[in-house]
Order: sequence, then C-alpha cells, then structure tokens
Amino acid sequence: MLSTKNIISIDDLSIDDINLIMESADSFHEVLGREFKKVPTLRGKTIINLFFESSTRTKTSFEIAAKRLSADLINFSASTSSLKKGESIIDTIKTIQSMMIDLLIMRHPDSGVMNFIAANIDVPLINAGDGKHQHPTQALLDLYTIKNFFKDFKGLKVAIAGDILNSRVARSDIKLFKRMGMDVTIVSAPMLLPENLEYFDSNYVYDIGKIIEDIDILYMLRMQFERQDRKYYPSIKEYNRFLSLNMERLQKMKRGSIIMHPGPVNRGIEISENVMNHGENYSGFKINTQVINGVAVRMALIYLMLGST
Amino acid sequence: MKAMSNMIGSDNILIKSGKVFEPSNGKEILSDILIQNGIIRAIEKNVNVEDMGDGLAKDLVVLNCQNYFVFPGFVDMHVHLREPGNEDEEDIGSGSRAAVRGGITSIACMPNTNPPVDSEYLINYILSKSRTVDFKIYPVAAMSKDLEGKEMTEIGLLKEAGAIAFSDDGKCIQDSKLMYEIMKYASHFDLPLILHEEDYSFSNYGLAHEGYYSAKLGLDGISPFAEELMISRDIMLAKMAGARIHITHVSSKGSITLIKKAKEEGLNITCDVTPHHLYFNDSFLESYDTNLKVNPPIRSEEDRKALISAISEGIIDAIASDHAPHYEAEKNTTFKDAATGTIGLETLFKASYTKLVRKEKIKLSKLVALLTTGPAKILNIKAPAIKVGDKADIAIIDLEKNKKIKKEDFCSKSKNSAFVGQNLYSEVVYTINNGRLGFIMED
Repeated sequence: MLSTKNIISIDDLSIDDINLIMESADSFHEVLGREFKKVPTLRGKTIINLFFESSTRTKTSFEIAAKRLSADLINFSASTSSLKKGESIIDTIKTIQSMMIDLLIMRHPDSGVMNFIAANIDVPLINAGDGKHQHPTQALLDLYTIKNFFKDFKGLKVAIAGDILNSRVARSDIKLFKRMGMDVTIVSAPMLLPENLEYFDSNYVYDIGKIIEDIDILYMLRMQFERQDRKYYPSIKEYNRFLSLNMERLQKMKRGSIIMHPGPVNRGIEISENVMNHGENYSGFKINTQVINGVAVRMALIYLMLGST
Repeated sequence: MKAMSNMIGSDNILIKSGKVFEPSNGKEILSDILIQNGIIRAIEKNVNVEDMGDGLAKDLVVLNCQNYFVFPGFVDMHVHLREPGNEDEEDIGSGSRAAVRGGITSIACMPNTNPPVDSEYLINYILSKSRTVDFKIYPVAAMSKDLEGKEMTEIGLLKEAGAIAFSDDGKCIQDSKLMYEIMKYASHFDLPLILHEEDYSFSNYGLAHEGYYSAKLGLDGISPFAEELMISRDIMLAKMAGARIHITHVSSKGSITLIKKAKEEGLNITCDVTPHHLYFNDSFLESYDTNLKVNPPIRSEEDRKALISAISEGIIDAIASDHAPHYEAEKNTTFKDAATGTIGLETLFKASYTKLVRKEKIKLSKLVALLTTGPAKILNIKAPAIKVGDKADIAIIDLEKNKKIKKEDFCSKSKNSAFVGQNLYSEVVYTINNGRLGFIMED
C-alpha cells in the first residue's frame, strides 16, 4: 500500500513508497518479458486515461500498463470530448466521476490542475503531466532506469540539460534525484530557467562542454517549443553549440555513463542526428530502455493503487 | 426597543458606552453618542435623552456598545462595483451593502466596467445610482478612452461631471508619451491619477510572483520589475509634468524603495496597499487556491515584510481593498483559466486589523488613519470624523471576536474571497451610514 491516495507531485511519495514501487516494477518487468504478458490482477477495475494534451508515449504507456494488468481502460482525449463545446473542466470531471471508475489518469496543460481536480472528486488520481508543474511517473521510471544501471544513487553526478523553465519533467526529476542523494547540475540558459533557482537547489552551467567528462548521467530535456509564447533561444546553432549532445561530446563521456531523454527527441536540437542514428551501439544510450521501464513502473503504480488492498 | 430588522434605517440612535476612537489623536473615550435625524447631537458620558425633549426617547434606537470600539466610517478608495455591465458579479446596491457590512461608508469605484467609465453620462449614472442606494460612491474615471491606453479621455469634463480621480486600473498605459501628456493635462485639474503599474513585457502570461514558489509550482512568473519599472517611469514623468500621482496596490519591496525616495525628494506621490498583500505571501499558492490569483500577484515574504515596515515608517498613505468580484464559475477552474482578483470590502478592516495590529503590533490609530483620513486626503474628500453637527458615519466594532471566514457569510454577490478559511479578529457589529443605521450583526 502506498501512503498517498493521489500521485500529483513526486513529493507525495515517501521513500518507502518509492522503494515499494521500484521493487514491484521489478516483478512487472519480468512479466513484460514473458510470452503471455498479461496478469489477471485488476480484472473488473475501470481506469480512465484522460488527456487534455496530445501525447503518444505517456498515454500509450499507461494504456499498455493497465491492459497488462487486465483492467478496462478507456481513453478520453480533449479533441474528441465535449470540452470544445464550452463544457467546464469541473463538469467534465464530475461526469467522469459519475461513471463509477476506479482510477483517473490525467494530463492537462495547466499547472496545478490536479490539485483542483483532487479537491473535487474522490477517485484516486495519477498525474500524467500538468502544465509546467509535475510529471511524477516520468521521474519514477527515470529513477528505475538509473537503478537498473547503477548500484547506488548516492553521489551520482547527473546533468539535466535544456529547457527547465517549461519542463514538468525537470521539476519532478530534479526533486527526486536530489532526494535520492544524487548531485544535480542544470545545463541551461537564463532564458530557459526560472528567475529563482533556489527551488532546484542544483549547480548550474551554461555550457554542456564544461561538465560532459565528469557526469554519470546526462539527461537531455525536450526543447518545449509548444510551450513558448516566443522564441526564448536565439537559434538552433547556438543551442547545438552549448546545450546539445553530439558525437564528439558523446565520446568524451565517462565509461559507464548513461544518456536519457523523456522523449520524443527533437533530432538535431538536443541530440544530433548522428548520435540518434548510432546511439544504439552505445550501451549507455537508455532512451528506449526508459520506454519499456515506463510500462513496468506504471504497472507497479496502478497495481499498488488499486490491486494491493 | 424595536426588533432588529425594524431598526435598520433608523436615524435616531443612541450609542451607549462605546469606546469612541478619535483618529487625530489615537485616543478612545468611553462615551455615548446621540444621533438625531442622522446628525450627531451629543458626544458625552451618559447622554440624558429625557432632557433633549422633542419626544426623542420614543423612537430612539439604543445600541449597547460596552466593550465595542466606535470608529468613523471607513473609506475604501479602490473598489470594483461591476456596474454597469457585470451585475451578475456585483452591482452598486450589493456592493454598497457589502461595504456597509465592512464598516465602510465611502468608496471610490474603478472605471473598468462594461462600458468603461470614460464619459460624462457614466459618471452621472453612477452618481445617481449612488443616491438611490444612499451610499457615498466617488466615481473614478478612465484616463484613456475605452481603457485602451491610446487616447486621453475628457479629463476636464469628467471632473466637472463628478469624477474624483483618474485611473486605467487593471491596465497600465504602456505608451510613455501618452502617460506624460495625461499627467501634464491632469495637473491643471488637481485630481490624483491612480496608477496600476505593470510593464507588460515583464508580466506577460504571468500567473504568480516570480520566485521560489512560481518555480516550484510551474506557474509563469510575474517579476516585481513589472511594477518597479513603471513606478520608476512614472516618478520620472510626474516630476517633469508636475503631476499628482497615486500608486495603487503596491506589492514589492523595490516599489517601496522607489516611492520612499520620491517622497523624500518632495514629489507629490502617494500609495496604497491591499489587505491581501499585507496578509499573504506566495507560499499560500501551494494550494493553487484561485482566490489568491490577484494582480499584482501575492509576493514573497520579504516583499510582504517590506510593506509592513513601510506602514510603520509612514510611507503608505492608505489601505484599500481592490474589491474585485467574480462569479463562481470564473474561479472554480484551473489557476491559469481563473479570473484575477479577490473581494475585499467585508474583510478590509478585519484582515488589516488581524495582521497589522494583532500580529505586527502596529498602532490601532495608524490602521484607522489608513482607512479614514489617509484615503480621504488623497481623494480630497471630507475626512471621516465623529463630530457634533456632522452627519453620522460610524463603524462599531467588537475587536475581540475571532472567527473563521466562511463563504456563506459574505453579502457581496460574489464570494471569491482570498480570506475564506482564515481566522480573523474583529467583527463589525453596527454601521451607521449617512446618518442611518445600515447594518446590524445578527449573531
């Protein structure tokens, strides 16, 4: 059992919760390797996957996770919903609650929307990303990926590179990584950062070249062009010079270091075409591992929220 | 004694044994106050009604005010009444009732209605409505036509129609030349320009004070520079133009520094703060409570403390509510989609008293001045006082009451109060407005 009913922020989870999720993810990871990748655990449970924002990976990942657990999952997307007809979000949520569902998984473009929803319904809620605020399941699957590669979190040097300002992944990941004892460096630029960095409590450099040789984990963020009301960064050329991973930088990385990205990658922006095409040959290239781990971690989470009672 | 409901509207009132507070010297005197036909007849210990003759004793309403403080009615110089145009949120009648409920007997109302108050007939409309509801409302007229920040309004004609001040409140004129011209022209008419200061290039799309909590909560930040840059500009322009400017709802430490310096240099500048900026800091936003979405935003603890010190130092001239009613659906949504503003008439005194006097040990006389003589001086209206011969405007308050603020308790049409859930000291027990008993707290 988890100590929290809703998972809105990564801070909602205790260390015990996190360890429990990591352990359970191991067993579900094993299920995913079987020929029959399904367990009957959540038969009869109904989950709504409510996405007010386009998503392929996260939405599919939750869908596969729920189906592998034999739950009934219904997808609900903003583009096909009545929201375009002027229905208010509160009415949509109340309607969904009336359908007697067991779990709500939700993504929405506004920060803090989950806090508002949670205050208005009693169904357990998983935040699949709210605006620029939090994306806790991404942080959990990232931690799980790191755990499978390194023995101990303590003292691991992580660089998180790119658009921190608009990133909910950064907000969840940095908080979780710091909590697990990792040493975090933000690689970014003032235009891509909040004015006040106190919350992140991390080191900061503007040039990826300065840290590339020292780090254990390079976490590249997606450049969130869709969340910018104007161009924050002068050019892709400038970005490539200071914030991107290219082959030359890849070769400078320590033996045993890894590269992560929440996806989808903007090829040629945060990671060069060359690295994307040949990265598979490099054992530290974990972007696809993150995807499969995402299913295992989400199965664990859904199971712990619905099945272990 | 008459039944309570029958007492409302009475203009023959005896206030028995109240602690009558005189803001000019900050002293309280245990005294009775006799009001006859709305006029204060006597302020003395043990008024003997029988001696007054005229059969007065017969329909006299006697208010037993042992342990209650008796203040002059308060002035709120920053109120959005929403009429004309948004009467579903508030109207002149409901706003006046809310004010009286809060011990307020005069208000200045902002022009960002629909249509905005930018021409004479709208000033006339508000003034005639104000007479209908028997409540003193001083209309503020727009500085720019349609509040668009492009062309100046008919400042001279608007003054003649009864405008008390000029403001584009809610908006800030970005065009510096236009602002300068308005200042120069308005200086001929000796009315204050009430300035909402905001550089849009710094505040654009912002939802919360830019700091630790906006970073944590993923809310786009509003830098204090948005306010401070415009205050700097307007101080510079006002110096050149010889204008009288009033900076409203000052929110940041840097703004205080700028205003303090300008005052020291002798500029004709005044400012007000809101109770919500004095009461809250941005850590309260962790709940994403949309009632705390206000403009300027609730700022950091450091800023809040600077506002409190500025009150002690005498840099702040008035406390004003920025009463901004919104109907429920506009607030019952995501932080981003929610409307901006909190109601404040009914909590103006309570919230200020709780924070300033109870918590920060600021003198009661200072608070009362900021709610009476301070704003009256800025608006150049008669200073509220309790004087024989004056029409009675009086707020009678129990300072010991401590109650949790509940949505249901507001009589404003809208319930979007930032203070819901907070425990606030004091309760207005009676308000005498324009010589008549206008409100009775029924327990």
